[in-house]
Amino acid sequence: MSFKSLLRDTSWADRVLFSALVAVSVAGIFFIRDVMPQGQSITIEVDGKPAYILPLDEDRMLSVEGPVGLTTVEIKDRKVRVTDSPCRNKLCVKQGWVGSGSIICLPNRIVVIIGNKAKKKGPDAITG
Amino acid sequence: MQLQDKYRIALLSAYAIGIHALESLLPSPIPWMRFGLANVITVIALMLYGFRTAMLVTLVRVLLSSLLTGTFPGPAFILSLGGGVSSTLAMGLAAAVSQRLFSAIGLSIIGAFFHNMAQLVLAYFLVIQRIEAVLFIMPVITLIGTLTGALNGLVAAMVIRNLKKDIIEKMTVD
Repeated sequence: MSFKSLLRDTSWADRVLFSALVAVSVAGIFFIRDVMPQGQSITIEVDGKPAYILPLDEDRMLSVEGPVGLTTVEIKDRKVRVTDSPCRNKLCVKQGWVGSGSIICLPNRIVVIIGNKAKKKGPDAITG
Repeated sequence: MQLQDKYRIALLSAYAIGIHALESLLPSPIPWMRFGLANVITVIALMLYGFRTAMLVTLVRVLLSSLLTGTFPGPAFILSLGGGVSSTLAMGLAAAVSQRLFSAIGLSIIGAFFHNMAQLVLAYFLVIQRIEAVLFIMPVITLIGTLTGALNGLVAAMVIRNLKKDIIEKMTVD
């Protein structure tokens, strides 16, 4: 009674089943990763309310209307920057490309957040 | 049900519960990932004594294990019951289609696959409710399940072979 003789006792159906399941699942691991890039998204909030939720891996530019004027946001290579803003000190533009965290333009009340954290609303905690 | 069957089911269930308990003591890289060694007993029960015995052993094992670990009416129990019943059903069907088509290894792989699928579906409704997370994890679980299922089947095949050899030896001695 040896390991080899046990393997010889497997039927053809066993081997077909085993190979098929391994092949399909390995293919599936790569396929699903392609179809559904568990990619991060960015959330753009205007005046505290989420205005846009965009995928981070699609390059694009867009203008967001704030109370002061239009803020232009650019997404490229999984990074975000504010290219133009109507505010005075342009801190958001100076911040440059950002790959994580957030860009905040206070005068125009626009917040660009990488990730879906903006969904969290309400108080952090209630005690007592 | 004959008395002999009752003893047999009780003994096999006890083995399964013992293996299950020992296995839950082993550390695992991912919390919910287990080897599923208790399925070895189900495969042996199915191949040596038939579907009825295998299903009863599974039911007794799931019920008593959950009572012992204190998960009885909770989601963990429902997951365990769903996985156990559907995997035993699938293995029973595969064995009923043809005795020669699948060996213990093939049956064990089928059992592992249906166990995982049933648990994923139940987990989707009970806990996760995010279809993309379920789809994402499905091929990974299938791959791990196929590998562990094949190894479990190998163990079952060894046990069955030894049991049969014992029986034949006893008969020739007598």
